[in-house]
This record gives sequence, structure tokens and C-alpha cells, in this order.
Amino acid sequence: MELSTNNQLQRPLEPVEEKAVSPWLEAWRSFRKNKLAVLGTLIVLFFILLAIFAPLIAPQGINEQNFEKRLLAPSSEHWFGTDDFGRDIFSRVVHGARISLWVGFLAVTGSIVVGCLLGILAGYYGKWVDTIISRFFDILLAFPSILLAIAIVAVLGPSLKNALIAIAIINIPNFGRLIRSRVLSVKQEEYILAAKAVGMKNSRILFHHVMPNSIAPIIVQGTLAIATAIIEAAALGFLGLGAEAPNPEWGKMLTDSRAFLVQAPWTMIFPGLAIMLTVLGFNLMGDGLRDALDPKMKN
Amino acid sequence: MKKRKGIWALVLMLLLSLALVGCNSSSTSNEGEPDDSTDDNGTEETAAGGQLVFGRGGDSTSLDPAATTEGEAFKVTVNLYETLINFGEQDTEIHPGLATEWSTSEDGLTHTLKLREGVKFHDGTDFNADAVVYNFERWKGGDKEQFYYYNSQFGDKIDSVTAVDEYTVEFKLNTPIAPFYKNLAMSPFGIASPTAIEEHGDNFFKNPVGTGPFKFKEWRENDRITIVKNEDYWQEGLPKLDEVIFRVIPENSARLNALATGEVDLIDGVNFSDKETIESNPELQVFERPSLNIGYLGLTSTRKPLDNKLVRQALNHAVNKQEIIDAFYAGAADPAINPMPPVVAGYNPEVEDYEYDPEKAKELLAEAGYPDGFEMELWAMPVPRPYMPEGQKVAEALQKMFEEIGVKAKIVTYEWGTYLEKANAGEADTFLLGWTGDNGDADNFLYVLLDEDSIGSNNYSYYKNDEVHELLLKAQASSDQAERDELYKQAQVIIKDDAPWIPLVHSTPLLAGSANISNFLAHPTGSDLLSSVEIKN
Repeated sequence: MELSTNNQLQRPLEPVEEKAVSPWLEAWRSFRKNKLAVLGTLIVLFFILLAIFAPLIAPQGINEQNFEKRLLAPSSEHWFGTDDFGRDIFSRVVHGARISLWVGFLAVTGSIVVGCLLGILAGYYGKWVDTIISRFFDILLAFPSILLAIAIVAVLGPSLKNALIAIAIINIPNFGRLIRSRVLSVKQEEYILAAKAVGMKNSRILFHHVMPNSIAPIIVQGTLAIATAIIEAAALGFLGLGAEAPNPEWGKMLTDSRAFLVQAPWTMIFPGLAIMLTVLGFNLMGDGLRDALDPKMKN
Repeated sequence: MKKRKGIWALVLMLLLSLALVGCNSSSTSNEGEPDDSTDDNGTEETAAGGQLVFGRGGDSTSLDPAATTEGEAFKVTVNLYETLINFGEQDTEIHPGLATEWSTSEDGLTHTLKLREGVKFHDGTDFNADAVVYNFERWKGGDKEQFYYYNSQFGDKIDSVTAVDEYTVEFKLNTPIAPFYKNLAMSPFGIASPTAIEEHGDNFFKNPVGTGPFKFKEWRENDRITIVKNEDYWQEGLPKLDEVIFRVIPENSARLNALATGEVDLIDGVNFSDKETIESNPELQVFERPSLNIGYLGLTSTRKPLDNKLVRQALNHAVNKQEIIDAFYAGAADPAINPMPPVVAGYNPEVEDYEYDPEKAKELLAEAGYPDGFEMELWAMPVPRPYMPEGQKVAEALQKMFEEIGVKAKIVTYEWGTYLEKANAGEADTFLLGWTGDNGDADNFLYVLLDEDSIGSNNYSYYKNDEVHELLLKAQASSDQAERDELYKQAQVIIKDDAPWIPLVHSTPLLAGSANISNFLAHPTGSDLLSSVEIKN
């Protein structure tokens, strides 16, 4: 209660300033105030840098086997220890960032493109187009997502590329539905009616007015989806349906180290931590973005 | 109002969950009671008995031993059925089984077996010469698909099987079969009840009836097979156990965990890396299975560029076997040179292995016309097998070794059934596989795995060499063991040069059990008879 009265008191002063800034800048300001969101962003940035400069940072390649040095505990020479092939786990985790982020970004981009296209069509044209597309989404959503991913990979054959495709497919309906609902509400706005009245083409209305007005929720959903995608990729890798050996995919590193849980826990801890941290980073960042971008969340 | 509704809902849920918990505990105690009481009775009356839970990696495919080739099936059927001849407790010497004595004619074409009297099948049918003849007629009537082992070990070589009198059987052969009695001792040739076969027809594989120390009780697919004591077993005082449950726990470390928590009493497929941990636990013990196996990388000789002998030899030179053994077998294996283990008669110790020499390998590749290497698939077994406990990892190590000589291998894997099927169809470039001997005879390795007759069954590498074929057939028909040994030795020399495989290891498979198990002897063939096993509670 107190908070809201405070805000009410301050409010009369603000509008003057607010009018001058763009909504994006305003979002950035509120984002910056959210400490957790900033922390999330820093984590994500850290992993992105790690991924980009992996070959420079990692002391070894991904597959330098040395059986004399198997299962060594973390030391100054091998920061994260070595696995059962005598490979440096630190190097593999660093290189693994490339794979996980790559899968996350690419899969989510894929599902955004396809999902948005379908969602816009469904929302804008309505009628039978909407029926068909929405039922398609319903079908996809009816499966537990990881099960569907397993099924898709099983059909396509296990590989990193196919895991990526599977993850992209299972995320399509999330974006599709989001965009569809946005389009449905934006469609009713007066400026769209005006555009129609002026005789603007459908495609122009869609891409110049409807799309830009739907971008904020997509960004939020996209960030959160990257987190899920990374987990899903790791899960598929864990099940042996993702990256092929000797790729240091984190989920695969977890499976490979199951046998040494007691004997050499570091083989499991570090890839596990890496997954946890990236996912946490994306989730914090996504939450912060939602708070900053969603007009309803503002006081 | 709303709040109050919420409280009521909460109370209701609590009550419901309490009720459910109540149901649960009462039902488990109901299930538990009869079990407990039988256990008590057992210990009071006979001072032995009890239940043994055997955890293993996969389910049986069939409980009709004649109709399968799969080790997990024999693991159970060896306790349900008996064979005419028995193997020794931990070797493949021949001992009396359902037959008490036997004799062979001079020409090696007629075998006469005297049968044990007073033995009954689990369903009460008498065991006699007619029952034996019935079984052999049944196997003879089926094709290779149906009764694989009969066709590979006996097939057309058995002319007739006749009952001379109630307890005498006579086998007439077309050509001598050197390992005739060893073959008879193989698990697939367990004698089944004719009455039960008639009664169950196509479903006999789910309703096994033999003369063995245990009777079949229940089979829940991919979960458990339960067998119980045969009270009327002909050997006094056996079996010691009241019940054996074979449980399927596919994952090696999960199975070991189940052993550590007491969920199971005995497990096979123990990771070599876990040996030390188990030995340091006073509540557990390790059993070693005498080695009678080979793990290898098959090089399918019908696929390019592996059709080139030089390429196959180059790959052989690229592999450092000792490194693989140290890393994934904890040293509990010997590097393999020939396609059969040294304990088998006829093993050629003079054959030299391709030494680990990447430079030599590169030279051979260049000579073969692949100076820059090539790309190929490397199939990794999806399941742990005694000869290959960690297929994926061995594949990764091999991948790296091949990379050193410029050969890019892509690791591929399929579900086990599909893996075998596809490899059998010659679709794999290179594939990990192995073999555990059935009867300890050289024929059971060389002929079964590398003869051209076995293409489409167990010759997965499609190796074909007329000279080898001739030697193997000659050895099969000879009844002079010294001559046979010589023939097998020659065959091994040619096979080594042709290099259809990279023979990797002969492993000593490990099993583990709780410390209160006694008299368990692991058999080299992988089919463990549990009749004299005891468990102290």
C-alpha cells in the first residue's frame, strides 16, 4: 500500500521526462534497475564470450585423449580435472558453450521465424486458416515437449543437427500462439482500421504495423525459450540422441560421466554447473526483460 | 466465502491422501505376509532356501532355448532345462547330464547314449528316449530361422535319431562331427517336455517345461522372470534356493546401485572400473567369469574402401589395444590376436599381432591409394556386453586412434535389435561386436564367426576366403584332435593376413553379489547354473 501511494505522489513529476524517451530506452532503464536481470545478462554475456573465444581460452582441444592422465582430480594443470579419456574437462566445457549456445540461438530463431509466420497468418486471416494452424499448434502442444523431441530425433536419426531441428519444432506453437493473440488484439486497433481504409496491402499492414507491435513479447519469450532449448538439447544429449562423439555437448558429458559419479564427481559437476548457469542466466534475463517490456507490469 | 472453500478443499485433499496412504500400506503388508511366512517355513524346515534376485542387463527373448541364440535367454533356460551332456562347473569339459554314459563307433558316425532313469519333466511327463527323439525331430523339422543352433551345429549332418529302448538313444550321422558331445552340452539343446510342446505350440517359448532344478513361474516382459524350486528334482538336495528372480536393469551403474541397496543379490555386467569399489565393500563380493570370449571391431569386407586388404591391415596397425584395456577393462582383459581365446584347443600362439604403429598404418593406406585417409562409419554397441562393457567409449577411443592416421570415423549407434539386423545386412562399415563361446571348441569361433557359410548369421563382417572355408570344413569332419588343431592353426594364419576384424580383447567378465551368497560359480559360456547356490540370511 505504501509503495503505491509513493508512486502516486511521484507521478505528477515524471510525465515531462517520459515523453521525451523512446519506449526502448525506458525499458532499458527499468531493466537496469533490476539487479537480478543484470546478473543474468552478465552470465549470458560471459558464456557468449566464452563460446566466441573458446579456442583461445581452452588450453586443449576437445578430443586430446591421453590415457595416462585419466580421471585426474582438478589441479592447476587441469582446472576441472580430466575425464576417463584423459581429456581436459575445462577445455571441453568451454568448447561445449559453443554447442549449447549455438543450438539454443539457432533453434529458437528457427521456431520464432516459423512460429511467427504461422501465428500471423492465423491471427490476421482468421476463419479456416486460423482453424488449421491453431489445431496444428494444439497437436504439437498435446505431446510432452521432450517426448516429441525424442520422437522427431528418432525419425531423423540422432545427430546435433537433428536435435536442433527437433527443438525448433517443439517450440513453434509457443511463438505461434503468442503472435496470434497479439495479432488478434492489434488487428482491432484504430490505426490498423485506418490503414485498411486507406487501402494498404495486407502484407504491408502485417509487416509494418502488426509485426513491430508484437516484437516485445517475442523477445521475452525468445530469451526464456533459449534457456529451455539448452536444457532440451542437454536432455537429448544425455539420452544419446544429440551431439555425436567426440563433441563436448554438456548433456552428453553428463551421460558419459555417470559411471564415475562416486569415483570422479568432477566429470559430472562442471558440465552440470555450466548447464545450470547458462539456463539461470537466460531465465533471469528473460524475467527482467518481461518486467521491463511488458506495459502491464509497469506501475 | 472463497477462502473458506479453499480450506475445505485442503482438508479434503489431506483426508484423501491419508486414505490413499492407508490403502497403500495395507496392500503392501498383504503382499508381504505370505512371502515372509514361506521364507520362515523354508528356513525352519530345510535350513536352506530363500530367494535370489539376479540383476542383469537385458530381458530374455525366448525361453525356448532351441529357438534363440541369445545369451540372456540361456541364462534362464540353463536352470529350467537340462542337456544330455553337461559342461564342467567352470570349464567346457564334458560330463554326464541326462545321459549317463555314451559310446562312439569306430567310424565316428554312430553315437549311442544311455539315458538317466527316473527323471520327470516339470509337468509330470516321463523323460525317456522317446522324449529325446521327439526334441531332435522337432529341431530337424525347423529351418535356420527357427532353430539356428541346431542347423549350425548339427543340421543335415545328423541322419537319424532313434530310440533303441526306453533309455537308449542312437544318433546316426552322415559325416563325423568332431565336437559332437560338446555340442550336445550347449544350452540350446536342453530337452523339453513333448507334452508341453504339443500343448503350447507357438507359445511354448513363454511356457517352458524341462527337467531342470527350477520350474518356470512367471515372466513379466522387460521386468522379471521368476523361477521356483523343482521339488521333484532328481538330484538329492538340489536346488538349494526356493526361488530365483531374474530382473532386468539395463544400466550398469544402476544395477550396481541396486546391489548395494540390497534390491538384488547378484548382478552381471559389472563395470570393470567398479571392481575396486566392490572389493572394498565388506558386504559385497566379486565373481570372475573365466574368459571364453572375444570383443572385436568388424571391418565389413564388402564395403569400400574396406574391401581392400591393405586398408584393413592399416586400421589394425592404428589400434593400441593395451591402452583400451587399461582404460575400459581396468586391465582385466588380454589383447586379442586371433579370433578365439587362447584357452580353446587349436589356438595358434605363433601368429603375430599387427603392432601399434600409426606410421606403418599411414604407409599402408598410401599404398592402398588413400594417402589422405577416408571417411567411414564406426558402429558402437548400445548395450553392455561382457566382452564390450562400454561400447560407446571404446568407439570414441578408436575414433581418435583412426583420426591419427587420417581416417575420419563417424560414431553411429542403433537400438540393439536394429544394430544387429543392419550389421547383419552388411550396412556397417566397421562395427563393434563380440562373441562368447558356447562350447569351447574352435569350430564355435572360427566357423561360426568367419566362415562364408555363416554370412547372414554370425559372420557380420562378410569375410569370405575359400581356403579358410576348406580348412574349417575339413576340421569339422575330422575326429582326430591333433589334425583338427593343425587345420585351425593354418586357418588363423590366413585370417590374420586377411584381417577381416581388428580383434580387440578377451575379457574376464565380472559379476558381483552380496557377501552372503556361496557356491556361485560363473560359467565361461555365460549360462550360470544356480542349483547349488546358497544364500544365508
